[in-house]
Amino acid sequence: MKNHTRSKLSRRNFLIAAGVGGAATAAAIAGRALSPEEPKAVASNDKRRGKGYQETAHVRSYYNTSKV
Amino acid sequence: MSASVTPLRFQPPEVPEDKAREGYYALLARLFYAGPDAALLAAIGGAGRIAGEGEQSALGGAWNRLAAAARAMEAEAACLEYDEILVGTGKAEVTPYASYYLAETGREKILAGLRGELLGLGLARSEAAHEPEDHMAGLFDVMRHLISLGSEDAALQMQQGFFDRYIARSYPGFCGAISKSEKANFYKHVAHFAESFLAVETEALKVF
Repeated sequence: MKNHTRSKLSRRNFLIAAGVGGAATAAAIAGRALSPEEPKAVASNDKRRGKGYQETAHVRSYYNTSKV
Repeated sequence: MSASVTPLRFQPPEVPEDKAREGYYALLARLFYAGPDAALLAAIGGAGRIAGEGEQSALGGAWNRLAAAARAMEAEAACLEYDEILVGTGKAEVTPYASYYLAETGREKILAGLRGELLGLGLARSEAAHEPEDHMAGLFDVMRHLISLGSEDAALQMQQGFFDRYIARSYPGFCGAISKSEKANFYKHVAHFAESFLAVETEALKVF
């Protein structure tokens, strides 16, 4: 048990030293801009108004057929 | 003492560092699934610098440069960049599928194994997604989910196992390929940040 506590602390300390801890606020703010439940659904919802090439669900399924 | 059972579910992470990891995986999942919109760029750009001890760290530097790039970047240009590098007309310059980086042959087996694991975790790709499950964005999203289950040993073990099997050996090739792309500008910074963060993850998941 003692070892667990110590290793947990060292994991956290490592993360903090690496900047992950310091980045908590940054991550939270950035994360809020997402839909955390389903980030994968984001792309299909966005309304891109680019000219020319458009990546649509149809295009994506086509790519999938051309893979492998 | 009764047999010790570690409950996995419905335990939100109480560890702030894990909350941060969750946020970063969510961000990486989003940025590698599609180009950012203006709101996301503004959020990254406005999120502030990584301060304190992290300032000197590779992660801090990579984040601060990504934030600066987000402030300078137009969403439309970033999306175009994403499509040119990771979707492409015809063959994508950089493939976002992990199995490509994990093995020369037998990629279907990797994908099949991954599908089995996801099923075991009660996960499946969203109906809107047509990509195979080994898309890097999907893998990052699974990590986000696993971290959200808690910071107990069993939860960390699941994170470590999944990370080791699918991410640890695929991200260097993936991020490296984006960094080398002549079309990459904003995504160079995204790749560099991903690389720095995942290098930290590689070490951190060894020490628990």
